[in-house]
Amino acid sequence: MRRVGFVVNPIAGMGGRVGLKGTDGRASEARARGAEPVAPRRAGEMLESLRRLRAASEIHWITCQGPMGSDSLASSGFPPSTIEIATSPPEVTSSEDTKVACREFEKRGSELIVFCGGDGTCRDVFDAVGRRIPILGVPAGVKMHSGVFGVHPATVAAALDAWLQGFLRIGDAEVLDVDEEAYRRGDWEVRLYGTAKTLVEPALVQTGKMLFAELSDEAMKDEIAEHVKETAEKEPDSLLFLGPGSTVEHIATRLGVGKTLLGVDAYRGGKIVGTDLDEVGILKLLEEQKNSKLIVSPIGAQGFILGRGNLQVSPSVIRRIGVSNVIVVATPSKLNATPVLRVDTGDADLDREFAKKEYLFVVIGYRTSKLHPIRS
Amino acid sequence: MEKRDPEGWMRTEYENLVAQSLDWKLRTLQGPNARRSIVDGKEVVMLCSNNYLNLSTHVKVKRAAREAIRTHGAGSGSVRPIAGNMDLHEELERRIARFKRRDAALYFMSGFAGNAGLIPQLAGEGDALFTDELNHGSIIDGVRLTKAQRFIYKHNDVADLERALTDADSKFKKLLVISDGVFSMDGDIAPVGDIAKLAEGFGAMVYIDDAHGEGVLGEGGRGVASHFHVEDKIHVELGTFSKALGVVGGYVAGSNVLRNYALNKSRTWLLSGSHPPATTAACIAAIDVLETEPRHVKKLWRNTRYFKKQLVSMGFDIGHSATPITPVMLGDSAVAKRFSERLFDEGVFALPIVFPMVAKDRARIRNIVTAGLRRKDLDDALSAYEKIGKELKVIP
Repeated sequence: MRRVGFVVNPIAGMGGRVGLKGTDGRASEARARGAEPVAPRRAGEMLESLRRLRAASEIHWITCQGPMGSDSLASSGFPPSTIEIATSPPEVTSSEDTKVACREFEKRGSELIVFCGGDGTCRDVFDAVGRRIPILGVPAGVKMHSGVFGVHPATVAAALDAWLQGFLRIGDAEVLDVDEEAYRRGDWEVRLYGTAKTLVEPALVQTGKMLFAELSDEAMKDEIAEHVKETAEKEPDSLLFLGPGSTVEHIATRLGVGKTLLGVDAYRGGKIVGTDLDEVGILKLLEEQKNSKLIVSPIGAQGFILGRGNLQVSPSVIRRIGVSNVIVVATPSKLNATPVLRVDTGDADLDREFAKKEYLFVVIGYRTSKLHPIRS
Repeated sequence: MEKRDPEGWMRTEYENLVAQSLDWKLRTLQGPNARRSIVDGKEVVMLCSNNYLNLSTHVKVKRAAREAIRTHGAGSGSVRPIAGNMDLHEELERRIARFKRRDAALYFMSGFAGNAGLIPQLAGEGDALFTDELNHGSIIDGVRLTKAQRFIYKHNDVADLERALTDADSKFKKLLVISDGVFSMDGDIAPVGDIAKLAEGFGAMVYIDDAHGEGVLGEGGRGVASHFHVEDKIHVELGTFSKALGVVGGYVAGSNVLRNYALNKSRTWLLSGSHPPATTAACIAAIDVLETEPRHVKKLWRNTRYFKKQLVSMGFDIGHSATPITPVMLGDSAVAKRFSERLFDEGVFALPIVFPMVAKDRARIRNIVTAGLRRKDLDDALSAYEKIGKELKVIP
């Protein structure tokens, strides 16, 4: 039996649907606004998935009495003999209870701690156990930028299963957090809080959205923009589709044109020839066009270059442009925080065509590229 | 419009650095860099110099410098291509070539000047350059001056390099692979043997910056290429006299054609005044010492093994170094800074490497063991480490 700590932050995620951008210090306000608990449901989803996997019976759980752990385990059908109660938190819980629980898990010999919450909970767990014990997060918060979270509850179960079978390594992952007070004011300050230990399986564990090397990100965006500008000038007849995101927006600025932040725009011969295009608009432009290129930047840490946030770039659009004319750009720090590039175009054959390449060159600076793994 | 303040921007930038504690606070050595130096008025055990073999104060090296001033004067009077090419420079280059077991060598003002001057001449438009993601800043700057396409491969990852080379093979004319031999932050060694063998298959040129391997690795301190027995597969070996050899100045060693090409093309070489006689003669003497007194390299490794072993037995995490560069991992940047200050109080000079050079919780103190340290110096440093480690609860 492997000893695994398990803690649920029952109030995590409550701030999300009611627009509080996080539940730090705002739990009672969230409740007053009619927020429903999110975390117990997410914990349940993970445990249900896990129970269907072979390795589930090999876990001895160390957890908290009640909604912070044992309730979820019991209702997902884990037998009481496999559940050890480490702490009995009060009815109204706080972040201190998470820390107390994790310290107790450590004392009782947990090899791994699975927690259910968001970046705030992650911070608490990390504060308690540091780099001594690997941690794995079931995403249930408002913000989950830290690299220890599975993409969704079922992938956490799969990661746990793979770990029990010895397929995963212990590696590093950034613990990040957005300053919630600043975020509520409209500022976006992602900070690196620390480097935790986690289970490493790039396809399953979401990596932090950004890294500490943000200092030079603007300079790197300038370089990437210069590179694309040079490419565009070499082929003035070529049609350039500019995907969404701030890196590509920066390229547009360098090309001397304005661009929609979240849309796909088209550029040719020094000017914008299409703004916020839909699939039909893109295909229409492509009708008369010989060569074209698509500039995209991976989204967040999940690494999607196609199929998330740019659905207008449909499979027929990509086929028309050509897989080899998709240019991926990313600043070095963003790429570092993105373990693998992914495509989900909705067309399995096309996805396979990308996946078959195994690695794509990503432009990270002026005339500078780096190979990065790609999967579908 | 308000009148411009020509220096105002600099003040702002500098104040920003100070506000983030990113500015360098210079320490001053009163007297030589030695096993114990006077730093800011205080005697300390030196654990952060690159003076690996303690040659900067070697009697033969100092004597050679004095003698050269007597015979050749204080300065060279010109750049090498015009009237500043002295017999001493040529002798040094022959000695470097012999020591490195190569055909020829060229002496630069510094290792930085070697990288910044030569790399841009080795690859141009239509060529491709492959560089390790953790290469030294002077390589990065040299690379930025080229018109070649640059491919950054993962640190010490030969498989990643192979993928990049394979993809670039048909698209580019010349291919050039550049790596540090020893990486100065962690002290790990590049897989130079594998890199060289891989590059050979593609007809790629291999360029190794061995600033931290010179005098440390290989037979008699001949460097990383000797360590892996691939001297014949490395086209450019860049080294420096400012670290293990205890003087100053960089060099490249390789074929005759490399030397002839480099001295006609490298702007940092062509346009810098040449090294003064004292420096040049001291470098020759440093090579003499390396060739005739093998004890220094042996002592360096004996000290390194002892220091590392003791640190580990006290419970410190010393990372994955394979060289005298010995990081003591402390995690938190504030702890690392505090640790370093306390070390200085206790008479030990070792610098903290903190955020943003490394992530906030991967901060460390970087120690560099040298051959000059006596057992007592190491023991004094180790007891300071033990005392402060317990004080700051880094070790039990």
